[in-house]
Amino acid sequence: MAPTQHMDALVRIVLNNLEYQHDWTQINTHTQRDLPRKLIYGLPPKRLYVHPDEQVEIIKAEKERKDRIPQEAEYEWVLPLHLSEKWSPAQFAAVFDAIKALPPVDIEDDEDGDAPWRAWRGPKRGKRILLATVQDDSTVTYYWIHDGLVKPRQN
Amino acid sequence: MTQESVKKIRISRVPGGKAAGGRYLVFDIEDVISIRRNNGICAVLTGTMPQNPTQNLFLGLPVELRVEEVRLLVDSGAAYVAEELAEHLDALNKPNHEAYIDSLREKRVSAQKAFDEEKNRVRAMHADKMKDKRKKDTSASIAQPAGEGGDDSLFGGDAVPAPHTKKEEETKPLPAITPATSAQLVGVSAGVDVPIPPALPFYRHLNSKGYYTTPGLRFGGDYSVYPGDPFRYHAHYLANAYGWNEKIPMLDVVTSGRLGTAVKKSFLFGAEQPASTPEEDGRVRMFCVEWAGM
Repeated sequence: MAPTQHMDALVRIVLNNLEYQHDWTQINTHTQRDLPRKLIYGLPPKRLYVHPDEQVEIIKAEKERKDRIPQEAEYEWVLPLHLSEKWSPAQFAAVFDAIKALPPVDIEDDEDGDAPWRAWRGPKRGKRILLATVQDDSTVTYYWIHDGLVKPRQN
Repeated sequence: MTQESVKKIRISRVPGGKAAGGRYLVFDIEDVISIRRNNGICAVLTGTMPQNPTQNLFLGLPVELRVEEVRLLVDSGAAYVAEELAEHLDALNKPNHEAYIDSLREKRVSAQKAFDEEKNRVRAMHADKMKDKRKKDTSASIAQPAGEGGDDSLFGGDAVPAPHTKKEEETKPLPAITPATSAQLVGVSAGVDVPIPPALPFYRHLNSKGYYTTPGLRFGGDYSVYPGDPFRYHAHYLANAYGWNEKIPMLDVVTSGRLGTAVKKSFLFGAEQPASTPEEDGRVRMFCVEWAGM
């Protein structure tokens, strides 16, 4: 198989996995001249990542409102990779430099835009990508990779 | 500025260790405190007890530094590196060591003084106790027959024992001491050059942001990275430094990310992006990996 076919097969596995195993919607691929490879973006069924500081702000805000704040899902970037690949920091940096924090989708602004607990949402959020690592048996495992020092979640 | 604050930390380079240059040790407790407090470097205690060298739970001086930590201290002007073996041979081969021997004697005299003071303190304490006890005894034994009073003379009632005679003190040899450093013998040296380790920019970046690091082997990385002194915080990251174009197997990223998540840390890796022009400094890029939970 030619290299492009390999790449297409890899992307296809991840697309299928996201759609049928993880119930993602509005999945698209994204090609860009300065990107080392095709990226995927889409909408997960529920919110995948909450920054630990954001969590604190949400709890504060909820206490004030005496009501739960619904956490709607956010669009996420996905980088398909094979487990046997080797990537250098330079390549990861190139991917992060090429993308914006949010995938290219239209999102309506909401009225709580300036609330402290919203500072980790939308275009203000830090750059992050889901690493979709594909194994030979087409198992796909997902890891977050963040740009810069991002403290860990208290799982 | 006092004399104390301008004193440079002496880092001793001794042969051995896995790195070509040798191992870097700090023997002076003041220096160890200073690098932890002022430079955010914990280093690793490596000294064990001569009488029980196999116990490794409680280690003491000296502390061992990584090359990047040494380099950071030397670059900031806080420390110098001394070639310990050569300097000692040099100092010992000089014809007379009067000053050194004098300094040792001084230390022994002051040690003797400290012992004496402690002894007198304990003695005085006992004497006070005895006095109290005797007072109680006498008040209780007023009605007792006079024969009982003989106890006092038997057990040296008038508490304070006779002090050592002058002669006795002079003939007694001074106590033996084990100096923690040989600074008096070798003095301060000009310092030797230290190689620049590849991980230096990565490490310096973390240190400049106030992060403390300890060796990361227990979590499978180069460093465990703490957001403050490890006495107060748990580690946030397990970290590896790479070259800018060094190829990292994805399996390493995945396994480290997974292990990190299992211990509530995230896997941090990074490298220095070489500067586009020689005048500029490189920029350190860092990435954090954690399990996505899906």
